[in-house]
Amino acid sequence: MSKIFPKSANKLPLQIVIYLGVLAGIATAGVTYYMTPKYTRVGYAPVQPVPFSHAKHVQEVGLDCRYCHSNVDKSGHSNVPSSQTCMNCHSIIKTTSPLLAPVRESYEKGTPVPWVWIHQTPDYAYFNHAVHVNRGISCVECHGKVNEMDVVKHSQPLSMAFCIECHRAPAERLRDPKDVYNLDSKRLVDQGAEGAKIAEKFHKDWKLMPPQSCSGCHR
Amino acid sequence: MKRKFDHPAPSAEEQLTGPKYWRSLDELAGTPGFKAQLAREFPEGAAELDGVDRRNFMKIMAASFALGGAGLAGCRRPEKFILPYGKSVEGIIPGLPSYYATAMPLRKSAIPLLAETHQGRPTKLEGNPTYQPHGGAATLKAQASILDLYDPDRATAHTKGGQQLNAEAVNALLDGIAKNYAAGNGAGLAFLADESSSPTRQRLVKALRAKFPRALWSEYEPIADEPPVEAAQAAFGRPVKPLCHFAKAKRIVSIDADFLQSEAGSLYYARGFANGRRVAKANDPMNRLYVAESALSLTGSMADHRLRFATSHMLAFTAKLASVLFPEVAGSLAPYAEGLQVPAKWIEECAADLLAHRGSCLVVAGSHLPVEVHAIVHGLNSALGNIGTTVDFIPTEAAAPSIATLAAAIKAGSVKTLVILGGNPAYNAPADLDWTALQKSVPEVIRYGYYVDETSAVNPAATVQLAAAHYLESWGDARTVDGTVVPVQPMIQPLFGGLTQIEVLARLAGVANPDSYALVLETITALAGAGTKADKAMQRFLHDGLLAGSAARPVAVRFNQSDVEQLFKPAAPLATLSKANLEVRFIADVKADDGRFANNGWLQECPEPITKISWDNAILVSPKLAKELGIDPKGSLIQVARKEEAEYSMGKEKAPVFELVVGGRKVRGPVHIQPGLASYTVVVTLGYGRSAAGHVGNGAGYNAYPIRTSAAPYAVTGAQLNNTGEFQMLANTQEHWSMEGRDIIREANLEEYNQTPTFVDTFGMESHAPSNLGAKYTVESFNKLSPEERIKARAEISKDIPRGNSLYKTPQFDGHHQWGMAIDMNVCIGCNACVVACQAENNIPIVGREQVARGREMHWIRIDRYYSDGNIDGEAFGGEGNKALPEDPQVSVQPMTCVHCELAPCEVVCPVNATVHDEEGLNTMAYNRCIGTRYCANNCPYKVRRFNFFDWNQRKLDQLYMSQLAEFGMPELVAMGKNPEVTIRMRGVMEKCTYCVQRIQNGKIQHKVRMAKAGTPENVVVPDGTIKTACEQTCPVNAITFGNLLDKDSAVAKAKARDQDYEVLGYLNIRPRTTYSGKLRNPNPKMPGYNKLPASRIEYEKKNVPAAHGDGHGSHDSHGSKKGGH
Repeated sequence: MSKIFPKSANKLPLQIVIYLGVLAGIATAGVTYYMTPKYTRVGYAPVQPVPFSHAKHVQEVGLDCRYCHSNVDKSGHSNVPSSQTCMNCHSIIKTTSPLLAPVRESYEKGTPVPWVWIHQTPDYAYFNHAVHVNRGISCVECHGKVNEMDVVKHSQPLSMAFCIECHRAPAERLRDPKDVYNLDSKRLVDQGAEGAKIAEKFHKDWKLMPPQSCSGCHR
Repeated sequence: MKRKFDHPAPSAEEQLTGPKYWRSLDELAGTPGFKAQLAREFPEGAAELDGVDRRNFMKIMAASFALGGAGLAGCRRPEKFILPYGKSVEGIIPGLPSYYATAMPLRKSAIPLLAETHQGRPTKLEGNPTYQPHGGAATLKAQASILDLYDPDRATAHTKGGQQLNAEAVNALLDGIAKNYAAGNGAGLAFLADESSSPTRQRLVKALRAKFPRALWSEYEPIADEPPVEAAQAAFGRPVKPLCHFAKAKRIVSIDADFLQSEAGSLYYARGFANGRRVAKANDPMNRLYVAESALSLTGSMADHRLRFATSHMLAFTAKLASVLFPEVAGSLAPYAEGLQVPAKWIEECAADLLAHRGSCLVVAGSHLPVEVHAIVHGLNSALGNIGTTVDFIPTEAAAPSIATLAAAIKAGSVKTLVILGGNPAYNAPADLDWTALQKSVPEVIRYGYYVDETSAVNPAATVQLAAAHYLESWGDARTVDGTVVPVQPMIQPLFGGLTQIEVLARLAGVANPDSYALVLETITALAGAGTKADKAMQRFLHDGLLAGSAARPVAVRFNQSDVEQLFKPAAPLATLSKANLEVRFIADVKADDGRFANNGWLQECPEPITKISWDNAILVSPKLAKELGIDPKGSLIQVARKEEAEYSMGKEKAPVFELVVGGRKVRGPVHIQPGLASYTVVVTLGYGRSAAGHVGNGAGYNAYPIRTSAAPYAVTGAQLNNTGEFQMLANTQEHWSMEGRDIIREANLEEYNQTPTFVDTFGMESHAPSNLGAKYTVESFNKLSPEERIKARAEISKDIPRGNSLYKTPQFDGHHQWGMAIDMNVCIGCNACVVACQAENNIPIVGREQVARGREMHWIRIDRYYSDGNIDGEAFGGEGNKALPEDPQVSVQPMTCVHCELAPCEVVCPVNATVHDEEGLNTMAYNRCIGTRYCANNCPYKVRRFNFFDWNQRKLDQLYMSQLAEFGMPELVAMGKNPEVTIRMRGVMEKCTYCVQRIQNGKIQHKVRMAKAGTPENVVVPDGTIKTACEQTCPVNAITFGNLLDKDSAVAKAKARDQDYEVLGYLNIRPRTTYSGKLRNPNPKMPGYNKLPASRIEYEKKNVPAAHGDGHGSHDSHGSKKGGH
């Protein structure tokens, strides 16, 4: 029998176990890193039909988020503006810019500009913008500093874990309602002890109880 | 094969714990098939794959995994686009629905509606709450009518001889007709229209008649749903129609009138009836309903006293009732009452009860009955002082010339151009007219219709088919049953360029470029009266959804006996009915109506409320007749219209096919034995057997029109039934989802309730199941609590009770709201409107006949229909088994859906936590977690969970078994109608009632947003009544109440605080959030056949205390104390 199994084979079972363990570890790490929204979604910045720069419009022109996303505080969807909204200004300035041709065409014909959808929630998850922005959660929490982006990119994973994390501890993400659309503002908890106190007070006074069960988002 | 665990038979003691109901004669008799059914969570066949057992299936699956490999199809999701409007649309906020007032016209009335639209797509209809008499309710058909808008089979183009016509060509064609016939004053031109209540159409028809005085305008509806005007004309000397106020009527006699379902204004009437029947506390008033009828209608099922006899004897009955009530007319009416075989005492006591309630009683007769009956009924209501109190008369119009007049004109060759507006005469005209031949003989036929149907197919080469617009695509107007003018407002541009009827009429009347909106505006401006600004009046009209103050004013009427006598033909002897001389009663199907809704999948799949047959109609026969025909089950195995030889016994009803012969005309159809019918009356439903209805309606049921003639459109005698020896499979949901005959519905008579308002607590296991009550209470101490305290105590107990040392934590119900529902069984009429409302709201798919027959229907809410007759002696209950089929059962209906148990049995068995509780008491389903083990359905005591056995939404129903090879995807037209707030479920997941969680969440969010903007973000509790579930909102009788249990003033908390509130299967300690109220009956102690207890209770008492019939409580309490220890 010894001919078939040399002495070195005695170590084989252990080697196999270690080998499999390492393999499983690598696989797990690989899947966790490469196949979760943190990797697959964050950083997604597709080319849009019109190279619209949020940075320019917010920082140079001084537009508020709600000038274009006018129903974000009323509806579940934060609307992407109609071409008519763009034309409010662009019928006066840059009226012949070739970059704006799709907008002008859309406005004239009534056909939509096909903006590429970046922040997609799955069909079975129902996120509601209105209730978040009206109760102290700023745009920046999920969308990042869009006011500094020339090209919009996906800045947070928007996975279920991301949602739940905040729903478990809402006070830590709260802003004063007047700062919700100010993407450069700080969270209350980051404004020192005083801010943290206010956050706790809001949490209590507003009876914040973000849903942590399925029915909150899945219908 | 699926293994089946053999539950031990219940011990004798266990059998004694509840009243017994039986839903079918199978259940009563305890046939082996039924017993097998009880042991399964799904009916046999529901959980099995055809021809492949589980082992084979695993083999195949393993092979396909190996072949497929574990490759990743792609790492990033496909690119999708956001498509905003080019130009903003006023009033539309993406993501928020808009609501517009409109109305669904049906014959001479209309249901005012609010349509929910998402970016211009109507997705759901609700009753318009501004119209007070309906209070925001809608009917079954109104709920389903939205599906017709998205019907892929609807007419999509105007055609002439098969060639498509564009809009200009159609206009030119209609203008041409107008021009050609103008010279001859319309000679040779004829119209056949459906009935309509539209004031604009009325105006245009008048204009048309003025322009073409020699043209023939005729109207035809196969079903009359309003009492004949001739009777009122004779009785009162003017064209009026009755408008009943059931809420004010304490005693109601219905003569073959199904006023709760099939009469015009049934919604108006049902609501009034329920208001007179709702009982909140002891000694509240409750109406009493006497019904004489031949078929078993929903109205009959609500009756306190029901008498069944042939429709052709109704005149005799009415004459007899009048003679007993008012002996002074007995002499003249005697010949008409002769030969009536009805217990004299029944009529006498009924009459005495009416006389004791002069001015607060009501007699109604079915619209199909002869004018004589209606004339007598008008006289009775007049003499009983009911006119002006329980019944008003409002002006109406004399009937237009009928289809018979038109047929005569066609035969005489005087019709050159026939314009058919709506309707489907080739399918539903009286058989003796031979309509197909008549239509073929007309040189030019213009056919305006919603479908390319039988009428379009008569002579396609010579027919111009104009596609009609759906009412949700049309401008129009209509009148409700009380005459209120309501708008028909479009929600969307005609999807296929359909025309409205008023456009067509206006063009024929010579209006240049008619526009529906302008036509309606003109009418409304005129109706609103001088002094109002036209645009303001129209805006108000469209906003409110009705023209304020336009309800018809009741006219003063005076009964004129001598004119009525003119109406009476000499009395004919009553037909003696027998097996050789059967009466055939034609009724419009509850769902398909006269055939117009035959292609509506929601209606087809909805089980008929009484027979529980879906997708088909049947020839209904009484048990007595069945016995004579030799199709009754032999021996003690009593079954309904089938024998145990069918391969699938349950869900599939193996019905013998009979040929029904009347006057040489024949029709073949499956026979279903229906208890409660007049012995020799055969009931056939119209509206089925369509040959050109579309994919859904074709091949469903048999067509009964070929035996229906203009001489006897509603009841004809002299029929025979001949057995063909063949069988047909019917999809019958009757025995699906059985709950083993426990004390599920608890009934009492009003007298008992007034003495013992808490009678529901004396039933079944709850009366001696202390584990329900935690450590703190005993049965006695709990019963001593006030209703409010009980609710509180129950809430406490639900948190305390440990779940048998299980690892699962008792859910913490710490949300701002705690949702609950109360269902008032006392007013539920079993109309099924909630079933379809739920289907529309929650994107519930239809599954088709084959799958319903396997018990795979997906309805989240079902209406259980139970029979009880007090003489039960079934094998299932320890007797020797019934030898005869019961003829006169009492009917009890119960809506059943997920009751959201606080300690839900489904949750603990889910291996993946796909069904869990939320903090507000909802038992939620996370579809994307569900792996489809179906353990939850197995463990659900209410059998309310539904499994997606196939991809109903994405595959065609005839390709389900082709699996991945079937075409994938939903037609765009169908997808448009889906509710975007609810996930479309895929194959392999479980689903069930969610309490309309999308409405709850959106209601809460909208409230929070409103409050945050108003500066009061702390106010997070939604006010009562803001959130309504779909079933609650549409319920015609307000039987369903939903809301926040923490709010003590909420309607639901009040409903649950009523003494008669109980939990179905409450003894299981699962704490359902939906509770039911005990059903009450209000029989007259002097009537023959009176029982102190409802039929179900008689059985209950008999079984419990064989020696002491009748006195329920004392005896049961002793039973309770005997068993009190466990």
